Amino acid sequence: MNENALDRVSRALNLIPFILNNQGLSIQQLAQRFNSTPAQISKDLSLLHMCGLPGYTHLELLNIDFEDPEHVAVNDPQVLDQPRSLTQVEALTLVLGLQLLAELSTQESERSAIVALKERISNQLGEEISARITIADGVNESPLAKTITDAITESRYLTVQYNSATSDTITTRKILPLEITYLEGSGYIHAYQMDANELRTFRLDRIWKLEAGGSDPDFKASLTQERSLEGALEVELEMGPDGLFFIEKHNEIVTSSREVGDRFFISIKVGSNEWITRTLLAWHSKISVISPPELVQSLHNRTSNTLANYQ
Amino acid sequence: MADNKTERLINLTMALLATRRFLSKDEIFERVAGYTGKRDAVERMFERDKDDLRALGIIIQVKPQDIFFEDEVGYRILEDDYELNIGELTPSELSYLSLAAKIWRNQLFAQSGDLALQKLEALGGTALREDFGHGTLSLENETPLFPSLWEAITNLRNISFTYRSRSVSQRRLSPYGLTLWKGSWYLVGLDLDKKEIRVFKVSRITSDIKFESKANSFEVPEGFRIQDHLLMLAPEPTTRFVARVRVGTCQSLRSQGVVTGVDGEWDRIEISLGNNWLEQLLWFGSDVVLEEPREKVAELIQVLRSKL
Repeated sequence: MNENALDRVSRALNLIPFILNNQGLSIQQLAQRFNSTPAQISKDLSLLHMCGLPGYTHLELLNIDFEDPEHVAVNDPQVLDQPRSLTQVEALTLVLGLQLLAELSTQESERSAIVALKERISNQLGEEISARITIADGVNESPLAKTITDAITESRYLTVQYNSATSDTITTRKILPLEITYLEGSGYIHAYQMDANELRTFRLDRIWKLEAGGSDPDFKASLTQERSLEGALEVELEMGPDGLFFIEKHNEIVTSSREVGDRFFISIKVGSNEWITRTLLAWHSKISVISPPELVQSLHNRTSNTLANYQ
Repeated sequence: MADNKTERLINLTMALLATRRFLSKDEIFERVAGYTGKRDAVERMFERDKDDLRALGIIIQVKPQDIFFEDEVGYRILEDDYELNIGELTPSELSYLSLAAKIWRNQLFAQSGDLALQKLEALGGTALREDFGHGTLSLENETPLFPSLWEAITNLRNISFTYRSRSVSQRRLSPYGLTLWKGSWYLVGLDLDKKEIRVFKVSRITSDIKFESKANSFEVPEGFRIQDHLLMLAPEPTTRFVARVRVGTCQSLRSQGVVTGVDGEWDRIEISLGNNWLEQLLWFGSDVVLEEPREKVAELIQVLRSKL
């Protein structure tokens, strides 16, 4: 990899105070933390070992002990004993991240701790920038997010009472949560569902009850996160510009798309017939289905049945 | 070559940080290791080095030349500017910061967050976080345009791009700011053709960001607040609906409304719904029969008929 000198200076200046506060780490561990290779970290340390203050005798040079690659220590950091201040973009990253966390947190004590921390970091930030890059709110809070995050960290199972929109039912499931993501403001858990033996996605606001269970880190480690699209149904859709939201929201299932004038033709792969039928019924006025014919037919039937309620 | 430069920049940083008074160029060239060669080559080298350190966010103080006393220009780095100054962090504070740094999917913030954590973990009193793995929480949709937008916004550069809304068009913009709403980034700025402040959803920009000017080409109006321009933040009007729902169905509607029994087959629900009322009701197909308001019933029937 071709690395420029500045990235290297930046890492080197960060390495000294980092080692000073975390003495005795191995070169391997340092490489991992600094997203680098052990060979590169060794080179950095050799180079730093020759840097220092004017005079450049052993009294003025940085003194680093890395003879034993399992055990790196800084004996004399000279003037580099403290970490560098945050850059504007670094401070902004933390401030905005803390703001999102504060919004998501449900315990008052936790929220106020996060807000106080955010104020401390905000002091590192120019006022001008913080008025111009913001978070406009709009994350749907879930009172369960904290329990789920803890369960992910501790590799715990959860028993959830889940309202499936697709089957319009409420069922109890045992899951091992892997990750929380937020898409267009709604939270989702990616989890392994134990009784179905499958990776599945659950919407946070459709979980009605939740209980934390035992922990099994070994099982979690054995999981790969590949989701299979086996048995998926290929569907072709047509929409105008007012149907574009569908592509944005379901980008990950879109397999191809083309534009003709202001019409969009897209292909998607879906795992569930019921889901796509309900979705298309709901967005009837904006999205049309071209194929497969069975889906066209079932959508037609459902439309007639619904209309029959009013005749 | 690269080694020499890295070494010289570190030595320069250390020397400027260690000095209490300003160091003149002569003093720097004489004392700091690495400045060897012809005078004008060394001068050029030093100018580049200063720019490089500033690019790393290091603030170099400059004492201007005083013509009456024939003082030379001097340089130094103040400890207070250089060092991170936020006090000690508790382990729980560090874990919040670590989470805050790791929720980003755009490359600029993901990288900056990690660099920030490297610094925070070098503070006295903080323990090395144990997990080196990826985060368990992400709140943002990916956007590859973020670094260009950041550059344009912070350096006040005009930009142009292709944007898709109702139709596809070229836009020229003085970008004022960015905001994250419901997981998506929105760009706010002065549309140079329409002469109005406009909001653009970043995911609908279909081209790269092209820079149309150098830095400092416009000014952000005084008192500009991004939230004043976000129409989507206005509260959505809701309407009261009455509908029959089939027993044992429409679970998500039931949780939002007031349900009373009708007979063995149907319940009645009273519910407030916003702009997406039609989609919410149609999702349940023939398991919902809308009763009020009358004009919404007519609208729903019309949508269904148009598809038969």
